[in-house]
Amino acid sequence: MKTVLTIVLFIVAAPLAGGLMAGLDRKAGAWMQSRVGPPLLQPFYDVAKLFSKQNIAVHKSQKYYVLCFLVFVILSGALFVAGQDLLLVIFALTLADVFLILGAYSVRSPYSYVGAERELVQMMAYEPMVIITAIGMYMVTKSFSVADIAAFEQNLFVKLPGIFIGLLFVLTGKLRKSPFDLSMSHHAHQEIVGGVLTEFSGAELAMVKIAYWYQNVFLLGLVCLFFASAFWLGVGAVMLTFFLEVFIDNNSARLTWQFTLASSWIAAAVLGMGNLVVLIFI
Amino acid sequence: MAKELIVFIDMEIPEMLTRVEALKLEGYRLMQIHCTRVESGYEINYTFALDLPSQNLRIHIDREQEIPSISGIFPAAFLYENEIHDLFGLNITDMLIDYHGRFYRTSVPAPFGQAKKDTGGGE
Amino acid sequence: MGERTVIPFGPQHPVLLEPLHLDLVIEDEKVVKAMPSWGFVHRGLEKLAEKRDFIEFPFVAERICGVCSHSHGMAYTQAIEALMSLEIPVRAKYLRTILAEFSRINSHLLWLGLLANALGFESLFMHCWKLREKILDIVEETTGGRVIFGACRVGGVNRDIDAPTLARMSRLFTGMEKGFREIDGVFRKDYTVQKRLQETGALSRADAHLLGAVGPVAKGSGIPCDMRRLGYSVYNELDFQAVVETEGDSYARTSVRIKEIFQSVGLIQQAIAKIPAGEVSMKITGLPPVGEHFEMVEQPRGEAVYYVKGNGTRFLERFRVRNSTFANIPALLKILEGCELSDVPMLILSIDPCISCAER
Repeated sequence: MKTVLTIVLFIVAAPLAGGLMAGLDRKAGAWMQSRVGPPLLQPFYDVAKLFSKQNIAVHKSQKYYVLCFLVFVILSGALFVAGQDLLLVIFALTLADVFLILGAYSVRSPYSYVGAERELVQMMAYEPMVIITAIGMYMVTKSFSVADIAAFEQNLFVKLPGIFIGLLFVLTGKLRKSPFDLSMSHHAHQEIVGGVLTEFSGAELAMVKIAYWYQNVFLLGLVCLFFASAFWLGVGAVMLTFFLEVFIDNNSARLTWQFTLASSWIAAAVLGMGNLVVLIFI
Repeated sequence: MAKELIVFIDMEIPEMLTRVEALKLEGYRLMQIHCTRVESGYEINYTFALDLPSQNLRIHIDREQEIPSISGIFPAAFLYENEIHDLFGLNITDMLIDYHGRFYRTSVPAPFGQAKKDTGGGE
Repeated sequence: MGERTVIPFGPQHPVLLEPLHLDLVIEDEKVVKAMPSWGFVHRGLEKLAEKRDFIEFPFVAERICGVCSHSHGMAYTQAIEALMSLEIPVRAKYLRTILAEFSRINSHLLWLGLLANALGFESLFMHCWKLREKILDIVEETTGGRVIFGACRVGGVNRDIDAPTLARMSRLFTGMEKGFREIDGVFRKDYTVQKRLQETGALSRADAHLLGAVGPVAKGSGIPCDMRRLGYSVYNELDFQAVVETEGDSYARTSVRIKEIFQSVGLIQQAIAKIPAGEVSMKITGLPPVGEHFEMVEQPRGEAVYYVKGNGTRFLERFRVRNSTFANIPALLKILEGCELSDVPMLILSIDPCISCAER
């Protein structure tokens, strides 16, 4: 019963938190650029407006792919808060991303195509590090279950500092922040316009946005998991991570996919694998 | 003050082509090409510069006359030649990239090529 | 992947603010060929010169383009004055030069901001434009216009600038110099920016020369192509050297523009120190222009060639503008060949295109 309640709470509260975070992101970004920025609740207004727009689908199947994307993102988040297997959570999230890519491929737009190709590259770039994170947590806690990991009495960060930093590194791409916002950036000021999202409009775009809110909450939850034994430390780490990402986004140029792939794998190999090797020997 | 820096040289088409090739070997760069409608037809000015501006070759032609492109010698010439083709309706052959009249999409064909009504101008 | 795709780029594209269309043939993410097409903003202003009084025409010439507006006005009036053999007051020449350098700083800061935007570096983008705002403010205060200054007229300038304001214009830079150094440091030393700019879009000196590149594109490839060296207006009385970089890549072109900002600051301060008192415009007497004349000026974006032909009436026989973008398009096509798709916006920007100048 408690699990069901947690899941319902997640489904209701996560988009609110995610939307607020998006608003904060824009506010903090504006502050760094010495602008005033939009109201804090602007992302909600945006999404509400998108729902009211006329529905123009380039391809009918697009709608189902987007819906699947949303459902699987929610599913992965729900599994996470329900304390299920961490690997299952990660694969559910990967599957969600696959649906987004299929959605981008389903429309005949060159921008969307290139965006989808880059999204695949980006998945290749961050996936190893995410898997290493799960393995590292398993090696410390001897369990893949999120519930067990969260209940572990020690602070995971102490044993997994390399993995934590490596995860932050790939998180930049996952949160769509420059330098790694290859397949789509926030403002579409990019050679491939909106990348994977170029041909999405109206309600579909709104659903993608909501899915990203869920996803961001889940990703920051993953960061929080490192500090699960001390809740307030976890909250602090999440906030710090979030502002660090906003800061990096505003103060770096977008890099190429070759660089993203190479640097993410190097980060995974050096920080992630290095941390695992150290764990084996101590 | 730039007046004396440019030398105007009038010539015929074949002579112009050999001269352009010679200028390329001497290390000149193509500065611009433009066309002017004159009473007896059209004149085309090819301006070349060596570090600072220096030579302007000029040919006189009729509307029907074919003008060989110099884009084989100076690749950048294709833009100017397409422009002349579209705005003046002149026939330039063998351009490096030929837009076939779709360089400027003007509502009137060859808007600059028509003879002037009178010197009074005005609306 | 592996097959060839054609990606349409422009004329409406969020990252490209100019109405230029390019068909990019890409293989994987490599651009194999780029084919330009344009004609979206052709207004036939050259033809309009035949229907407008030559004294009124600076208003049209200044509206050829927004950012280079002042240099268009300056080039046109200089060309007419040369045709009519008018010797305009020296103070007017100085004022034109000072404003021309202000517009150069404005243009370069605008361009640097757009470059940062194309790279996804948002705070740098805003920082450049914040600096630019101060330049625009003082220009607005002295000429009345932020974009189109409307300063030049045949025979001088429209408005004098009094001595205290000139002193303030000179002092403005003591405060701004720090800001310029900051953005200079970021553009040239920041790791991610360097990574994107260096060794991309290299244009050799020989290619730049053959393709007739001008302005910062030529200067970045090692050609000191700076029309100010002709000494028009009062440039012969000011001390400066053409800024030249030798690498020929986007980084070199960016460096040229940043160094030109500092150079312009120096030129403005020199000019303000030297400016003589006197009239700022003269009465136009004598016959309308006869004959033909080529006038070359250095716009912020590169060399512009003006050709005017008068026939003794108040309407010009032929008015012709060839601006820097027109001359730089072949060089752009050259650097786009073989580049990465992700570098395309930056490379297009690196020639600082101004299509409304190019199409007129």
